[in-house]
Amino acid sequence: MRVLQKGLIVTQAGDAFREGHVDADGFRIRYMEAGQGPPFVHLHGAGGLRLTRGHDLLSRQFRVIAFEMPGFGASPENDRSRDMPELAATMATATDALGLDQFNLMGTSFGGKTALWLALLQPDRVQALVLEAPAAIRPHGSRPPAGSPEEMARRLFAHPERLAPMPLPDPAVQARQARLTARLRGPDRDADLEGRLPGLVVPTLVLFGTVDRVIPPEMGHFYKELMPNCHLVFVYDAGHAISTDRPEAFVEVVADFIERREAFVISRTDTVIHP
Amino acid sequence: MQVSYFETARYRVPPAIPAEWPVPPGAYDPETGAEAYQGMVDRVQFVEELGFDWVSLSEHHYSPRILTPNIAVSGSYIAARSKRIKIAVLGPIVSQSNPVQVAEEMAMLDTLSNGRLVFGMLRGTTNEYLTFDLNPAEARERTTEGMELILKAWTEPQPFGWQGRHYQFRTVSVWPRPLQQPLPPTYSLGTSRESCEFAARHHIGLGVSFAPFEVVAKSTRYYREQCRHYGWEPAAEQMIYRANILLADTDEEAHELLEQQRRGAAPFPMRAGVREALLKLDQRNVAGEARSPNVGGVLPTSFYGGPDTVVAQIRRCRDEVGVGVLDLAFQNPGAPDTGRLMRSLELFAEKVLPRIREV
Amino acid sequence: MKVSYFETARYRAPRQLPAQWPVPPAAYDRDAGTQSYHGMVERMQFVEKLGFDWISVSEHHYSPQRLTPNPVVSAAYLAGYAQNIKIAVLGPIVSQSNPVQVAEELAMLDNMLPGRLVVGMLRGITGEYLTYGLNPAEARERTSEAMELVLKAWTEPQPFGWQGRHFRFRTVAVWPRPRQQPHPPTYALGTSRESCEFAARHHLGLGVSYAPFGVIAKATRFYRDACAQCGWQPAPEHVIYRANILIGETDAEAEALLDEQRRARQAFPLRAQVRDALLELDIRNVAGEARTPNVGGVLPTNFVGSPDTIVEQIKCCREQSGVGVIDLMFQIPGSADLGFLMRSLELFGTKVLPRIRDV
Repeated sequence: MRVLQKGLIVTQAGDAFREGHVDADGFRIRYMEAGQGPPFVHLHGAGGLRLTRGHDLLSRQFRVIAFEMPGFGASPENDRSRDMPELAATMATATDALGLDQFNLMGTSFGGKTALWLALLQPDRVQALVLEAPAAIRPHGSRPPAGSPEEMARRLFAHPERLAPMPLPDPAVQARQARLTARLRGPDRDADLEGRLPGLVVPTLVLFGTVDRVIPPEMGHFYKELMPNCHLVFVYDAGHAISTDRPEAFVEVVADFIERREAFVISRTDTVIHP
Repeated sequence: MQVSYFETARYRVPPAIPAEWPVPPGAYDPETGAEAYQGMVDRVQFVEELGFDWVSLSEHHYSPRILTPNIAVSGSYIAARSKRIKIAVLGPIVSQSNPVQVAEEMAMLDTLSNGRLVFGMLRGTTNEYLTFDLNPAEARERTTEGMELILKAWTEPQPFGWQGRHYQFRTVSVWPRPLQQPLPPTYSLGTSRESCEFAARHHIGLGVSFAPFEVVAKSTRYYREQCRHYGWEPAAEQMIYRANILLADTDEEAHELLEQQRRGAAPFPMRAGVREALLKLDQRNVAGEARSPNVGGVLPTSFYGGPDTVVAQIRRCRDEVGVGVLDLAFQNPGAPDTGRLMRSLELFAEKVLPRIREV
Repeated sequence: MKVSYFETARYRAPRQLPAQWPVPPAAYDRDAGTQSYHGMVERMQFVEKLGFDWISVSEHHYSPQRLTPNPVVSAAYLAGYAQNIKIAVLGPIVSQSNPVQVAEELAMLDNMLPGRLVVGMLRGITGEYLTYGLNPAEARERTSEAMELVLKAWTEPQPFGWQGRHFRFRTVAVWPRPRQQPHPPTYALGTSRESCEFAARHHLGLGVSYAPFGVIAKATRFYRDACAQCGWQPAPEHVIYRANILIGETDAEAEALLDEQRRARQAFPLRAQVRDALLELDIRNVAGEARTPNVGGVLPTNFVGSPDTIVEQIKCCREQSGVGVIDLMFQIPGSADLGFLMRSLELFGTKVLPRIRDV
């Protein structure tokens, strides 16, 4: 718990999550877990694992397992994963080690590409795929966010001024992560990956914030054009970090999609004003 | 028998376009679209010359097949480019609209067209539930309340508030009102018990569509019974039947066309997972008997053959169903070949229309 | 300078009407309504011949003052008669609409014209909050979100979902798309900071109205600064100024008429208690500076005088505020004399229009 300036008492995002570790491909992989229900695996973005209110809301309906991929956070430098498919294979092994047979999978930004590769490698295990502002298809010459914490915040969030201050990142961790992601992110248009996407039949939800300043939301339609069972949703007035900017809106559509897959397009909203 | 020509603003769909509904808008070609609306006007002027009584329009979204998402807008455009023909909007999808706005638009259209409006109120085909995110479980109730509010907005002399189940307004005071008094010819569209009962209660007409004669006859019979219950008897022209027609010079030619059409695509084909979910959720009935909804399926062709055969079919329809207005979708509205369409309209006007006037 | 003629359907009540908005629909006269729509076409054809660049229509409800509750429906009717003139829909009140429906209607219209549509998107005057029950506190936010969604619906190539604050759609796939690519010339309407910033961010034009030159200059300056920050520079025709005009043969004549005009009735007068409550709730600004909303009040007449004087005023307006399009509401003081209106249009078309082309 902490107290904000306005006197509001709030629970710190992720308070309900418990830490765990699992071994895979010789890595000791940290994860955070909370909630009951269908398993929901999350692979974070290039900035590493940061639990948000989005995770909290998801954990009300799902057993959420948010991994910290090897080389991120406090884990040692990862110079073994040679490319994204290899990192994805490691993460698949980690889910195996946790005893997950089938699961829902969400990847954020950089982790969106990891999640796509994981689904391509083991499509039968992924029940539904959610890509939050995925970085798998980028405009030519796009650059990952970098710079001061203020500049980073301006790139990542729609309204950084509305957010509570975040802990300052450790420069050493940042440098390790930057080396790893630069090596694994691949080309802006990855022909190998895009060539495989038409064969990926897993129900997929792609989300973009309308004010994403890292990956333009105009990249969204490429996924829909390439993948046979893909849905595209714009989250209004959210930046790259959708689940931080608009957690309720984000989780409503994600949870509905996980529950009903493509039938999530059918409204079940009650519009009765008075009985 | 009166005859209406169902116009869909035929868009020349290139063969490579994805079939599934909704169709990606990136595939839209603006040239072809502008041609579609120009063609709409050409055809309306043509059928007006040929002596058709009405031109009808319907609301559909997210597809090149029927390019009229707002039929008040197409209706107004047609009103400016035609003189005598009645403009039948069959109809706005009331369940997913703002009923007051519909009342306003239709009153404008009736006035703009010098009182040529015919108005049908619709629940909507199942696929349209996805257009503006209508909960299928609420579709029926919202339609009924919406229809009631539209009629009220047209007839209530003073500003009023509406405390509905699904709609709430503190101020309703529609300007202009329809030109035709007290109402334009108005129909409740659909075969359901609720639709028949609503029409009977409000002394308005009933519109049914596409199903075989014996099916729609159940609902026109029920409608007439209900009207009797409310102490009135509907005239024949208070019942409309919208149906597909394939007219050719000979029966053989028409049969051949029918075979081709059977192989053709459904109007709004949908992804299996969505279709199945909708099938479960959408409750429909014919005069109270449950029927499964048509979700993304092909529609039957009710009239097909050479002129003699079609005349006989229309007589049988009148005898069995009792409708006084046929609203005809000629030669598969999704077909890009408008040349064939024009020929069959001409054939209809020459060889069929004069022989069914007294039917 | 480009010139637009603002057409309001000019309903001429055969008898004295209740003053207060909403006006009881019982007072509606159907013949007067029909005449007013026909007059709309005559006037459009007249100004088209005189060389006006645009004709504009706007959305207002529940009142004989502007008989265009859906401006797209009236515009579609005009489109059926228009030859070369552009039609400017200024604008749909997007705060209280279904934005996807607005996108659909306007796209249809652009195809009908074809390609001569101009669009403005509007928050709506304060009184309109009462039409469909819009919460004044939400008006601004809903407008911004709706404008964004309309643009997205016109430009996104694949079907998409929209997870907004005020609007939610799982499926948006608009057919047709506009004839003009990527979309018709589009304006954010209003002097507010939000409106200017939205227009700048999306490379749209800005439309301001009725306020004195000095006030609108604040907004246009703010808009140009915001555009510069977004890395582009708007052209003069990116700024529209809707204004009242009273033109006479001589200054003396016009001044005398202005006195009559000052005694004229307000367009949308509200009951005092409602007006006061709305005044408290409706928060407006000019380029960030708070301003009191005009609730049911009389609007100033911005251009008054002989042709010579008006030419000077238009030059002054251009210098002070940089607008490139004036959208003119021609006043007919003291009566509903449409003959006076036609004479004013002719006077403007022959004596002013040729002299402001190079302004």
